[in-house]
Amino acid sequence: MTHTFIIAQRVLSQLKGDRRFLALSIFAPLLIIYFLKLMFDTFPSFVDVKSNTIPISAFIVHFLSFILCAVLLVQERTRGTLERMMIGGFSKTSIIGGYSLGYFGLATLQAITVLTESIWLFNLSYDTKTVVLLFIVIWLLAIVSVMLGIFISTFAKHEAHVFPFIPLIILPSVFLTGLIIKPDGLPIWAVIIGKCLPLHYAVNIIHEIVKPEYKIIDTLVDFGVLTGYIFGLLGLASLTLKETE
Amino acid sequence: MNAIEIENLSKYYGKLRALNSMSLEVPEGTIYGLVGPNGSGKTTLIKVLVGSLHPNSGFIKVLGLDPLKDKWKLRKQIGYMPQSPALYDDLSARNNIMFFGKAQNVPDLKKKADEILSFAELTSRANDMVGTFSGGMKKRVSLCCALIHNPRIIFLDEPTAAVDPHLKMQSWILFRKLAQSGVTIFISTHQMDEAMLCDKVTILRNGEILAVDTPQNILQRGKTNLKISVNNEEKVSTIDSTPKSLADELKKYGLEKNITSVELHSSNIEDIILSIVHEKEKEEKS
Repeated sequence: MTHTFIIAQRVLSQLKGDRRFLALSIFAPLLIIYFLKLMFDTFPSFVDVKSNTIPISAFIVHFLSFILCAVLLVQERTRGTLERMMIGGFSKTSIIGGYSLGYFGLATLQAITVLTESIWLFNLSYDTKTVVLLFIVIWLLAIVSVMLGIFISTFAKHEAHVFPFIPLIILPSVFLTGLIIKPDGLPIWAVIIGKCLPLHYAVNIIHEIVKPEYKIIDTLVDFGVLTGYIFGLLGLASLTLKETE
Repeated sequence: MNAIEIENLSKYYGKLRALNSMSLEVPEGTIYGLVGPNGSGKTTLIKVLVGSLHPNSGFIKVLGLDPLKDKWKLRKQIGYMPQSPALYDDLSARNNIMFFGKAQNVPDLKKKADEILSFAELTSRANDMVGTFSGGMKKRVSLCCALIHNPRIIFLDEPTAAVDPHLKMQSWILFRKLAQSGVTIFISTHQMDEAMLCDKVTILRNGEILAVDTPQNILQRGKTNLKISVNNEEKVSTIDSTPKSLADELKKYGLEKNITSVELHSSNIEDIILSIVHEKEKEEKS
């Protein structure tokens, strides 16, 4: 457990030291949400853009957290520090745990800033309970993305290997999870694929939370699946991260 | 006791044979050199010995332990310096060393880190980010990371490549001191002057051992071209590179019969440059 904290501490000091990375992780989502606002402003007033704002913001966090975490962990491999950590006495469990813990901080910061900007920019009037619940969903999705990044990084030998996973895993989320249109009219196989993607559950919860008649019990299963993704991907990453080539 | 024992070790990358039925023994407390051109299998052998690569076949014991089955016991006792610096550019030299020290639960880590930074002549840059360091300085930090937990055996993969001659000399003084205190040093190099400083050398080519011997014995396998001018007439002869052969050859030109061996030690260009640098430093200090 101590080793996990040592790695988490290192990840955090590394993030603090790499200001470019930190700025990219925090300000890039904010800038993209601003561009989204500019685009939504051109839509006719009868189009309901508000219901799509938070799900799209959540997707931006999902995409960036995944790619930044995967690339950084692959860098550990290409630089030789991953091998050195393992030979130096760190177990793969402590490496994955330390990385996850280190990125929890970044995921929290991303969830807070993205939600605050979206609510302010789109003039969304939600009560405190709804805002807290929306934060929890985006935060959970960010953690899932970190885990997904760690898992995918185990298949990549260098940074460029991460990019083919974007059209494979991230982009289908845009079309099949209800982010833009409800998946009801899609072919059954496309609905099944959509249900395999974590964004599907996050979008479901967000759409429910903002309804006035929302009851937490209606989304317990979706919350459970989203949390399940975290532990499932953590387990898979532990299996696929090799200590010995 | 042997620090390393290898029997019939083979490693393949697909169809490529990186190590071919290799057998060798490394006595404890020695500096053991692995010499060979690029692609000869030096790095692969080191990676197999530290438990980072699975061999395809063969028997390996490092400090009496199996690098894969007993990895946790073994990793506490070995130091490893890979060919690339393998450091965090966004962390200071001190924090890099402390990070790897923490993995091994080194007692009194801060003091130990200060000592090792001082040895590597990095005290003045200890708090600077490694990303701002030159290649040679990164190698020094990397060496410090490998030594921080006082390992019983150290695997060094080309540790002095890109290091300046002065620090190279200092490193070798340290390697010798460590070996005298019982630490085994397993070092790969393609620099022949470094091979000469080892107790024993294995020459590798295409994953096969070509020779295992002391550097002195290996050197004697060579030939020396001797050019002697007698009354402006040049006489050229090729003799074995042994002190006895040189004495025997010189006897033909009048060397006294009771002289049985002749050795020449000339400064190489590195020694000469080093002495010029040291003289200048002395001058500046005085």
